Amino acid sequence: MTLRRAFKTALLCGLLCWAGAGARAQQFDIGSGGLPTITGATGGTVTGSADVTQNLVVNVNFGDVSPINTSNVVRVVVPVSIRSTGPYQVTVTAAGLFDPNPQAVQRTDIGFGARNLRQLGNKARDCNRGTHLFRTPFDNDPAASLAFDAQGRAAYPATLASLSTPVVILSGPELTKGNSITKKEPDNGYVFDAVFVIKPQFFAAGNFNVTLTFNIAPGPNVQC
Amino acid sequence: MFKCLRNLTRAGAVAAFTLALAAGVSAQTNTSGTVTIGGSVSKFVELNSGGAVTLTGNSGGGVTTDGVADSALAVVVNLGELGPANTNGFVKASVPLKVRSNTNYVLSMSAVVSSTGSTANRILAADFGFGLGSFSRSAAVGVHTTGVDTDNTSGDPTNVANGAVNATSGRFEYVSARSNLGAFSASTTVLSGPRVLNAVPRSNTNGLVVPAVFSVKPQFYEDGTTTATATFTIAAP
Repeated sequence: MTLRRAFKTALLCGLLCWAGAGARAQQFDIGSGGLPTITGATGGTVTGSADVTQNLVVNVNFGDVSPINTSNVVRVVVPVSIRSTGPYQVTVTAAGLFDPNPQAVQRTDIGFGARNLRQLGNKARDCNRGTHLFRTPFDNDPAASLAFDAQGRAAYPATLASLSTPVVILSGPELTKGNSITKKEPDNGYVFDAVFVIKPQFFAAGNFNVTLTFNIAPGPNVQC
Repeated sequence: MFKCLRNLTRAGAVAAFTLALAAGVSAQTNTSGTVTIGGSVSKFVELNSGGAVTLTGNSGGGVTTDGVADSALAVVVNLGELGPANTNGFVKASVPLKVRSNTNYVLSMSAVVSSTGSTANRILAADFGFGLGSFSRSAAVGVHTTGVDTDNTSGDPTNVANGAVNATSGRFEYVSARSNLGAFSASTTVLSGPRVLNAVPRSNTNGLVVPAVFSVKPQFYEDGTTTATATFTIAAP
Protein backbone atom coordinates (compact mmCIF):
# COMPACT_ATOMS: atom_id res chain seq x y z
CA MET A 1 0.00 0.00 0.00
CA THR A 2 1.43 3.39 -0.95
CA LEU A 3 1.67 6.34 1.37
CA ARG A 4 -0.75 8.18 -0.87
CA ARG A 5 -3.40 5.51 -0.37
CA ALA A 6 -2.78 5.46 3.35
CA PHE A 7 -3.17 9.20 3.43
CA LYS A 8 -6.48 8.97 1.54
CA THR A 9 -7.71 6.37 3.97
CA ALA A 10 -6.78 8.44 6.96
CA LEU A 11 -8.40 11.46 5.38
CA LEU A 12 -11.55 9.43 4.86
CA CYS A 13 -11.49 8.40 8.53
CA GLY A 14 -11.13 12.01 9.53
CA LEU A 15 -14.01 13.03 7.33
CA LEU A 16 -16.17 10.31 8.82
CA CYS A 17 -15.35 11.46 12.33
CA TRP A 18 -16.04 15.11 11.50
CA ALA A 19 -19.28 14.22 9.73
CA GLY A 20 -20.35 12.22 12.75
CA ALA A 21 -19.69 15.12 15.10
CA GLY A 22 -21.37 17.69 12.84
CA ALA A 23 -24.50 15.53 12.51
CA ARG A 24 -25.07 15.18 16.33
CA ALA A 25 -28.63 16.44 16.89
CA GLN A 26 -29.43 19.13 19.38
CA GLN A 27 -30.64 17.47 22.51
CA PHE A 28 -33.61 18.36 24.68
CA ASP A 29 -35.02 17.10 27.90
CA ILE A 30 -38.00 17.84 30.14
CA GLY A 31 -38.65 16.29 33.51
CA SER A 32 -39.54 16.79 37.13
CA GLY A 33 -38.32 20.04 38.63
CA GLY A 34 -39.03 19.02 42.19
CA LEU A 35 -41.89 18.17 44.47
CA PRO A 36 -45.23 19.70 43.41
CA THR A 37 -47.34 21.44 46.06
CA ILE A 38 -51.05 22.07 46.65
CA THR A 39 -52.74 24.61 48.91
CA GLY A 40 -56.34 25.50 49.68
CA ALA A 41 -57.72 22.06 48.89
CA THR A 42 -60.47 20.13 50.64
CA GLY A 43 -59.63 16.49 50.16
CA GLY A 44 -57.15 17.32 47.41
CA THR A 45 -53.71 15.83 46.77
CA VAL A 46 -50.76 16.09 44.39
CA THR A 47 -48.15 13.43 43.65
CA GLY A 48 -44.88 13.75 41.77
CA SER A 49 -41.17 13.20 42.20
CA ALA A 50 -38.94 15.47 44.24
CA ASP A 51 -35.98 14.20 42.18
CA VAL A 52 -35.11 16.50 39.29
CA THR A 53 -33.52 13.59 37.44
CA GLN A 54 -36.89 11.86 37.09
CA ASN A 55 -39.50 12.12 34.39
CA LEU A 56 -42.37 14.58 34.64
CA VAL A 57 -45.32 12.52 35.83
CA VAL A 58 -47.64 14.46 38.14
CA ASN A 59 -51.15 13.69 39.34
CA VAL A 60 -53.29 16.45 40.79
CA ASN A 61 -56.57 16.04 42.61
CA PHE A 62 -58.07 19.46 43.31
CA GLY A 63 -60.48 17.81 45.75
CA ASP A 64 -63.96 19.21 46.30
CA VAL A 65 -64.30 22.60 44.64
CA SER A 66 -67.92 23.20 45.63
CA PRO A 67 -68.69 25.94 48.18
CA ILE A 68 -68.00 23.41 50.91
CA ASN A 69 -64.39 24.40 50.29
CA THR A 70 -64.13 27.81 51.91
CA SER A 71 -60.61 28.55 50.65
CA ASN A 72 -60.17 31.46 48.27
CA VAL A 73 -58.49 29.24 45.66
CA VAL A 74 -57.00 25.80 45.27
CA ARG A 75 -53.47 26.35 43.92
CA VAL A 76 -51.04 23.76 42.58
CA VAL A 77 -47.41 24.48 41.70
CA VAL A 78 -45.59 21.93 39.52
CA PRO A 79 -41.84 22.53 39.06
CA VAL A 80 -40.67 21.44 35.61
CA SER A 81 -37.01 20.93 34.66
CA ILE A 82 -35.76 21.63 31.16
CA ARG A 83 -32.43 20.97 29.46
CA SER A 84 -31.15 21.65 25.95
CA THR A 85 -28.03 21.97 23.86
CA GLY A 86 -29.68 24.50 21.58
CA PRO A 87 -32.48 27.06 21.44
CA TYR A 88 -35.66 25.51 22.76
CA GLN A 89 -39.37 25.99 23.16
CA VAL A 90 -41.79 24.41 25.61
CA THR A 91 -45.32 23.67 24.43
CA VAL A 92 -48.33 22.47 26.37
CA THR A 93 -51.54 20.87 25.26
CA ALA A 94 -54.55 19.75 27.33
CA ALA A 95 -57.05 17.01 26.60
CA GLY A 96 -59.85 15.83 28.86
CA LEU A 97 -63.49 15.27 29.69
CA PHE A 98 -65.70 18.01 31.02
CA ASP A 99 -69.44 18.04 31.75
CA PRO A 100 -71.29 19.82 28.93
CA ASN A 101 -73.46 21.57 31.58
CA PRO A 102 -72.16 25.16 31.39
CA GLN A 103 -72.47 25.45 35.17
CA ALA A 104 -70.13 22.49 35.68
CA VAL A 105 -66.36 22.96 35.87
CA GLN A 106 -65.05 23.86 32.41
CA ARG A 107 -61.56 24.32 30.99
CA THR A 108 -62.04 28.04 31.44
CA ASP A 109 -62.41 27.55 35.20
CA ILE A 110 -58.84 26.26 35.64
CA GLY A 111 -56.31 29.05 35.52
CA PHE A 112 -52.85 28.23 34.16
CA GLY A 113 -49.61 30.14 34.29
CA ALA A 114 -45.85 29.57 33.97
CA ARG A 115 -43.23 31.57 35.82
CA ASN A 116 -40.14 31.66 38.01
CA LEU A 117 -37.42 30.28 35.71
CA ARG A 118 -34.25 29.51 37.64
CA GLN A 119 -31.07 27.49 37.20
CA LEU A 120 -30.74 23.97 38.48
CA GLY A 121 -27.03 24.36 39.19
CA ASN A 122 -23.51 24.84 37.88
CA LYS A 123 -24.07 23.13 34.54
CA ALA A 124 -26.86 25.47 33.55
CA ARG A 125 -25.90 27.66 30.61
CA ASP A 126 -25.65 31.40 31.17
CA CYS A 127 -26.59 33.30 28.00
CA ASN A 128 -26.03 37.03 27.71
CA ARG A 129 -27.23 37.56 24.17
CA GLY A 130 -30.55 35.75 24.38
CA THR A 131 -33.36 35.76 26.91
CA HIS A 132 -35.81 33.17 28.10
CA LEU A 133 -39.32 34.37 27.39
CA PHE A 134 -42.58 33.28 29.01
CA ARG A 135 -45.33 33.91 26.51
CA THR A 136 -48.38 36.06 27.12
CA PRO A 137 -50.97 35.29 28.52
CA PHE A 138 -49.24 32.52 30.47
CA ASP A 139 -46.61 34.70 32.14
CA ASN A 140 -48.41 35.12 35.47
CA ASP A 141 -49.66 33.41 38.60
CA PRO A 142 -53.37 32.84 37.95
CA ALA A 143 -54.11 33.08 41.69
CA ALA A 144 -52.89 36.68 41.63
CA SER A 145 -54.55 37.48 38.30
CA LEU A 146 -58.02 36.19 39.16
CA ALA A 147 -60.96 38.42 38.27
CA PHE A 148 -64.72 37.97 37.75
CA ASP A 149 -66.66 38.08 34.53
CA ALA A 150 -70.03 39.77 34.06
CA GLN A 151 -71.79 36.66 35.38
CA GLY A 152 -69.77 36.72 38.59
CA ARG A 153 -67.71 33.68 37.63
CA ALA A 154 -63.97 33.53 38.28
CA ALA A 155 -61.83 34.27 35.22
CA TYR A 156 -58.08 34.18 34.48
CA PRO A 157 -55.75 35.59 31.79
CA ALA A 158 -54.99 32.04 30.62
CA THR A 159 -56.81 28.80 31.26
CA LEU A 160 -56.78 25.23 30.05
CA ALA A 161 -59.12 26.39 27.31
CA SER A 162 -56.07 28.07 25.74
CA LEU A 163 -54.36 24.68 25.35
CA SER A 164 -56.64 22.71 23.05
CA THR A 165 -53.75 22.61 20.56
CA PRO A 166 -50.04 22.74 21.50
CA VAL A 167 -49.16 26.26 22.55
CA VAL A 168 -45.69 27.66 23.17
CA ILE A 169 -45.43 28.93 26.73
CA LEU A 170 -41.67 29.41 27.03
CA SER A 171 -38.69 29.67 24.70
CA GLY A 172 -35.09 30.76 24.82
CA PRO A 173 -31.42 29.99 24.16
CA GLU A 174 -29.65 26.79 25.12
CA LEU A 175 -30.06 25.67 28.68
CA THR A 176 -27.16 23.30 29.30
CA LYS A 177 -23.40 23.75 29.23
CA GLY A 178 -21.51 21.47 26.91
CA ASN A 179 -22.51 19.85 23.67
CA SER A 180 -24.54 16.95 24.89
CA ILE A 181 -27.05 15.83 27.43
CA THR A 182 -26.38 12.21 28.15
CA LYS A 183 -28.73 12.02 31.09
CA LYS A 184 -30.78 14.12 33.44
CA GLU A 185 -28.40 15.58 35.97
CA PRO A 186 -29.35 17.53 39.06
CA ASP A 187 -27.57 20.68 37.90
CA ASN A 188 -27.52 20.77 34.10
CA GLY A 189 -30.53 22.86 33.21
CA TYR A 190 -33.28 25.12 34.41
CA VAL A 191 -36.57 24.83 36.33
CA PHE A 192 -39.80 26.76 35.94
CA ASP A 193 -43.12 26.58 37.81
CA ALA A 194 -46.34 25.55 36.11
CA VAL A 195 -49.18 26.96 38.23
CA PHE A 196 -52.77 25.70 38.21
CA VAL A 197 -55.62 27.41 40.07
CA ILE A 198 -59.33 26.83 40.55
CA LYS A 199 -61.67 28.89 42.72
CA PRO A 200 -64.34 26.92 44.62
CA GLN A 201 -67.74 28.01 43.34
CA PHE A 202 -71.37 26.90 43.02
CA PHE A 203 -70.42 24.62 40.12
CA ALA A 204 -72.87 21.92 39.11
CA ALA A 205 -72.09 18.68 40.94
CA GLY A 206 -69.88 16.17 39.16
CA ASN A 207 -66.27 15.23 38.33
CA PHE A 208 -63.72 16.46 35.82
CA ASN A 209 -60.42 15.19 34.49
CA VAL A 210 -57.79 16.55 32.09
CA THR A 211 -54.25 15.61 31.08
CA LEU A 212 -51.66 18.19 30.10
CA THR A 213 -48.68 17.19 28.00
CA PHE A 214 -45.53 19.31 28.22
CA ASN A 215 -43.07 19.07 25.33
CA ILE A 216 -39.65 20.54 24.69
CA ALA A 217 -38.31 20.86 21.17
CA PRO A 218 -36.07 23.07 19.01
CA GLY A 219 -37.16 26.67 19.32
CA PRO A 220 -36.59 29.99 17.60
CA ASN A 221 -32.94 30.64 16.82
CA VAL A 222 -31.79 32.70 19.77
CA GLN A 223 -28.13 33.44 20.33
CA CYS A 224 -26.66 32.49 23.62
CA MET B 1 5.49 -2.14 6.79
CA PHE B 2 3.01 -0.86 4.26
CA LYS B 3 0.70 -3.78 5.01
CA CYS B 4 0.92 -2.93 8.68
CA LEU B 5 0.15 0.71 7.91
CA ARG B 6 -2.89 -0.35 5.83
CA ASN B 7 -4.25 -2.49 8.63
CA LEU B 8 -3.76 0.31 11.15
CA THR B 9 -5.57 2.76 8.89
CA ARG B 10 -8.45 0.37 8.34
CA ALA B 11 -8.75 -0.29 12.08
CA GLY B 12 -8.67 3.43 12.74
CA ALA B 13 -11.50 4.04 10.28
CA VAL B 14 -13.64 1.35 11.87
CA ALA B 15 -12.93 2.71 15.33
CA ALA B 16 -13.82 6.26 14.30
CA PHE B 17 -17.07 5.15 12.71
CA THR B 18 -17.95 3.04 15.73
CA LEU B 19 -17.26 5.94 18.08
CA ALA B 20 -19.51 8.26 16.08
CA LEU B 21 -22.30 5.67 16.05
CA ALA B 22 -22.04 5.07 19.78
CA ALA B 23 -22.16 8.82 20.55
CA GLY B 24 -25.43 9.10 18.59
CA VAL B 25 -27.37 6.65 20.88
CA SER B 26 -25.92 7.44 24.30
CA ALA B 27 -28.33 10.30 25.43
CA GLN B 28 -30.93 9.45 28.10
CA THR B 29 -33.43 12.26 27.68
CA ASN B 30 -37.15 12.69 27.48
CA THR B 31 -38.88 15.40 25.50
CA SER B 32 -42.32 15.15 27.06
CA GLY B 33 -44.03 14.82 30.43
CA THR B 34 -47.57 14.84 31.77
CA VAL B 35 -49.64 16.51 34.47
CA THR B 36 -53.01 14.91 35.08
CA ILE B 37 -55.61 17.03 36.85
CA GLY B 38 -58.92 15.94 38.35
CA GLY B 39 -61.43 17.12 40.90
CA SER B 40 -65.01 16.92 42.04
CA VAL B 41 -67.96 19.08 42.96
CA SER B 42 -70.41 17.86 45.56
CA LYS B 43 -74.03 18.91 45.94
CA PHE B 44 -74.24 21.95 48.17
CA VAL B 45 -77.28 23.58 49.77
CA GLU B 46 -77.35 26.36 52.29
CA LEU B 47 -80.01 28.09 54.43
CA ASN B 48 -79.32 31.31 56.25
CA SER B 49 -81.19 34.32 57.49
CA GLY B 50 -82.36 36.60 54.72
CA GLY B 51 -82.37 39.66 56.95
CA ALA B 52 -84.34 41.45 59.66
CA VAL B 53 -87.73 40.29 60.91
CA THR B 54 -90.83 42.40 60.35
CA LEU B 55 -93.32 42.30 63.23
CA THR B 56 -96.72 43.95 62.93
CA GLY B 57 -99.95 44.01 64.87
CA ASN B 58 -98.23 43.26 68.15
CA SER B 59 -99.13 44.73 71.49
CA GLY B 60 -96.00 44.54 73.56
CA GLY B 61 -93.47 41.91 72.66
CA GLY B 62 -90.90 42.46 69.98
CA VAL B 63 -88.06 40.82 68.08
CA THR B 64 -85.80 39.36 70.72
CA THR B 65 -83.11 37.97 68.39
CA ASP B 66 -83.25 39.41 64.94
CA GLY B 67 -82.21 37.88 61.66
CA VAL B 68 -78.91 38.98 60.17
CA ALA B 69 -78.54 38.50 56.44
CA ASP B 70 -76.23 35.62 55.53
CA SER B 71 -75.85 34.57 59.16
CA ALA B 72 -77.27 31.43 60.69
CA LEU B 73 -81.04 31.47 61.13
CA ALA B 74 -81.64 31.90 64.86
CA VAL B 75 -84.61 34.20 65.25
CA VAL B 76 -86.58 34.68 68.44
CA VAL B 77 -89.79 36.68 68.36
CA ASN B 78 -92.08 37.63 71.22
CA LEU B 79 -95.54 38.10 69.71
CA GLY B 80 -96.71 39.94 72.83
CA GLU B 81 -100.30 40.01 73.97
CA LEU B 82 -102.50 37.57 72.04
CA GLY B 83 -105.65 38.03 74.12
CA PRO B 84 -108.53 40.41 73.33
CA ALA B 85 -106.56 43.31 74.80
CA ASN B 86 -104.80 43.31 71.46
CA THR B 87 -107.36 44.79 69.11
CA ASN B 88 -105.38 44.22 65.94
CA GLY B 89 -106.57 41.73 63.35
CA PHE B 90 -103.40 39.63 63.41
CA VAL B 91 -100.03 39.63 65.05
CA LYS B 92 -97.77 38.82 62.11
CA ALA B 93 -94.06 38.09 61.94
CA SER B 94 -92.33 37.85 58.56
CA VAL B 95 -88.96 36.10 58.82
CA PRO B 96 -86.75 36.30 55.67
CA LEU B 97 -84.97 33.07 54.74
CA LYS B 98 -82.13 32.92 52.20
CA VAL B 99 -81.73 29.73 50.18
CA ARG B 100 -78.59 28.98 48.11
CA SER B 101 -77.64 25.83 46.21
CA ASN B 102 -75.76 24.38 43.24
CA THR B 103 -78.37 21.67 42.80
CA ASN B 104 -82.07 20.97 43.31
CA TYR B 105 -83.14 21.76 46.85
CA VAL B 106 -85.96 20.94 49.27
CA LEU B 107 -86.76 23.22 52.20
CA SER B 108 -88.72 21.55 55.01
CA MET B 109 -90.07 22.65 58.36
CA SER B 110 -91.23 20.99 61.55
CA ALA B 111 -92.87 22.78 64.47
CA VAL B 112 -93.38 22.11 68.15
CA VAL B 113 -95.92 24.14 70.17
CA SER B 114 -96.33 24.03 73.93
CA SER B 115 -98.52 26.05 76.27
CA THR B 116 -98.90 26.51 79.99
CA GLY B 117 -102.65 26.31 79.48
CA SER B 118 -104.49 23.07 79.98
CA THR B 119 -107.82 23.45 78.25
CA ALA B 120 -108.86 23.30 74.63
CA ASN B 121 -108.99 27.08 74.71
CA ARG B 122 -105.25 27.37 75.13
CA ILE B 123 -103.24 28.48 72.08
CA LEU B 124 -102.66 25.40 69.93
CA ALA B 125 -100.39 24.67 66.98
CA ALA B 126 -103.38 25.16 64.71
CA ASP B 127 -103.74 28.73 66.00
CA PHE B 128 -100.37 29.67 64.56
CA GLY B 129 -100.82 30.53 60.94
CA PHE B 130 -97.89 29.77 58.67
CA GLY B 131 -96.99 30.15 55.02
CA LEU B 132 -94.56 31.67 52.60
CA GLY B 133 -95.07 35.22 51.48
CA SER B 134 -94.47 36.51 48.00
CA PHE B 135 -91.05 35.86 46.51
CA SER B 136 -89.31 35.59 43.16
CA ARG B 137 -85.82 34.94 41.81
CA SER B 138 -84.03 38.20 41.31
CA ALA B 139 -81.80 39.12 38.39
CA ALA B 140 -78.86 39.66 40.70
CA VAL B 141 -75.45 38.48 39.51
CA GLY B 142 -75.10 34.73 39.79
CA VAL B 143 -78.76 33.88 40.45
CA HIS B 144 -80.05 31.05 38.31
CA THR B 145 -83.15 32.74 36.97
CA THR B 146 -84.68 29.86 35.03
CA GLY B 147 -86.64 27.13 36.73
CA VAL B 148 -89.67 27.19 39.00
CA ASP B 149 -89.75 27.19 42.80
CA THR B 150 -92.74 25.30 44.17
CA ASP B 151 -94.44 26.73 47.25
CA ASN B 152 -95.99 23.87 49.22
CA THR B 153 -97.83 26.20 51.62
CA SER B 154 -100.95 28.27 51.05
CA GLY B 155 -99.07 31.52 51.14
CA ASP B 156 -99.45 34.34 53.60
CA PRO B 157 -101.69 32.90 56.36
CA THR B 158 -103.36 36.27 56.84
CA ASN B 159 -104.74 36.19 53.29
CA VAL B 160 -108.52 36.16 53.41
CA ALA B 161 -108.76 32.83 51.64
CA ASN B 162 -106.62 31.10 54.24
CA GLY B 163 -108.75 31.60 57.31
CA ALA B 164 -112.27 31.92 58.59
CA VAL B 165 -114.32 31.80 61.76
CA ASN B 166 -115.61 28.33 62.51
CA ALA B 167 -119.37 28.60 62.34
CA THR B 168 -119.82 26.12 65.17
CA SER B 169 -117.09 27.04 67.63
CA GLY B 170 -116.68 30.66 66.63
CA ARG B 171 -112.93 30.17 66.75
CA PHE B 172 -110.88 31.65 63.97
CA GLU B 173 -109.14 28.86 62.11
CA TYR B 174 -106.60 28.61 59.31
CA VAL B 175 -108.45 26.37 56.94
CA SER B 176 -106.23 25.98 53.86
CA ALA B 177 -103.76 23.13 53.38
CA ARG B 178 -100.53 23.55 55.30
CA SER B 179 -101.57 27.01 56.51
CA ASN B 180 -100.89 26.52 60.20
CA LEU B 181 -98.25 24.89 62.39
CA GLY B 182 -100.56 22.00 63.14
CA ALA B 183 -99.73 20.64 59.67
CA PHE B 184 -96.01 20.61 60.46
CA SER B 185 -95.77 18.36 63.49
CA ALA B 186 -93.46 16.25 61.33
CA SER B 187 -90.93 17.66 58.88
CA THR B 188 -92.87 18.70 55.80
CA THR B 189 -91.78 20.24 52.54
CA VAL B 190 -92.30 23.97 52.44
CA LEU B 191 -90.48 24.90 49.24
CA SER B 192 -88.54 23.14 46.51
CA GLY B 193 -86.85 24.06 43.26
CA PRO B 194 -83.84 23.87 40.95
CA ARG B 195 -80.37 25.19 41.63
CA VAL B 196 -80.46 28.70 43.02
CA LEU B 197 -77.02 29.93 41.95
CA ASN B 198 -74.86 29.59 38.87
CA ALA B 199 -71.12 28.97 39.11
CA VAL B 200 -70.16 31.87 41.36
CA PRO B 201 -68.06 31.84 44.52
CA ARG B 202 -69.54 31.55 47.97
CA SER B 203 -68.52 35.15 48.58
CA ASN B 204 -71.29 36.12 46.18
CA THR B 205 -74.07 36.73 48.73
CA ASN B 206 -77.00 36.57 46.34
CA GLY B 207 -79.62 33.85 46.67
CA LEU B 208 -83.35 33.20 46.88
CA VAL B 209 -84.93 35.22 49.70
CA VAL B 210 -88.25 33.85 50.90
CA PRO B 211 -90.42 35.33 53.70
CA ALA B 212 -91.65 32.78 56.22
CA VAL B 213 -94.80 34.29 57.71
CA PHE B 214 -96.21 33.40 61.13
CA SER B 215 -99.44 34.84 62.47
CA VAL B 216 -101.81 34.60 65.42
CA LYS B 217 -105.22 36.21 65.55
CA PRO B 218 -105.86 37.65 69.03
CA GLN B 219 -108.76 35.75 70.62
CA PHE B 220 -110.21 34.82 74.02
CA TYR B 221 -107.55 32.15 74.53
CA GLU B 222 -106.95 30.58 77.92
CA ASP B 223 -104.47 32.78 79.71
CA GLY B 224 -100.89 31.58 79.88
CA THR B 225 -97.67 31.45 77.88
CA THR B 226 -97.18 29.62 74.64
CA THR B 227 -93.98 28.78 72.82
CA ALA B 228 -93.70 27.69 69.22
CA THR B 229 -90.43 26.49 67.72
CA ALA B 230 -90.15 26.11 63.96
CA THR B 231 -87.11 24.28 62.60
CA PHE B 232 -86.21 24.71 58.94
CA THR B 233 -84.04 22.18 57.12
CA ILE B 234 -82.64 22.32 53.59
CA ALA B 235 -81.48 19.27 51.68
CA ALA B 236 -80.37 18.18 48.21
CA PRO B 237 -82.61 15.34 47.02
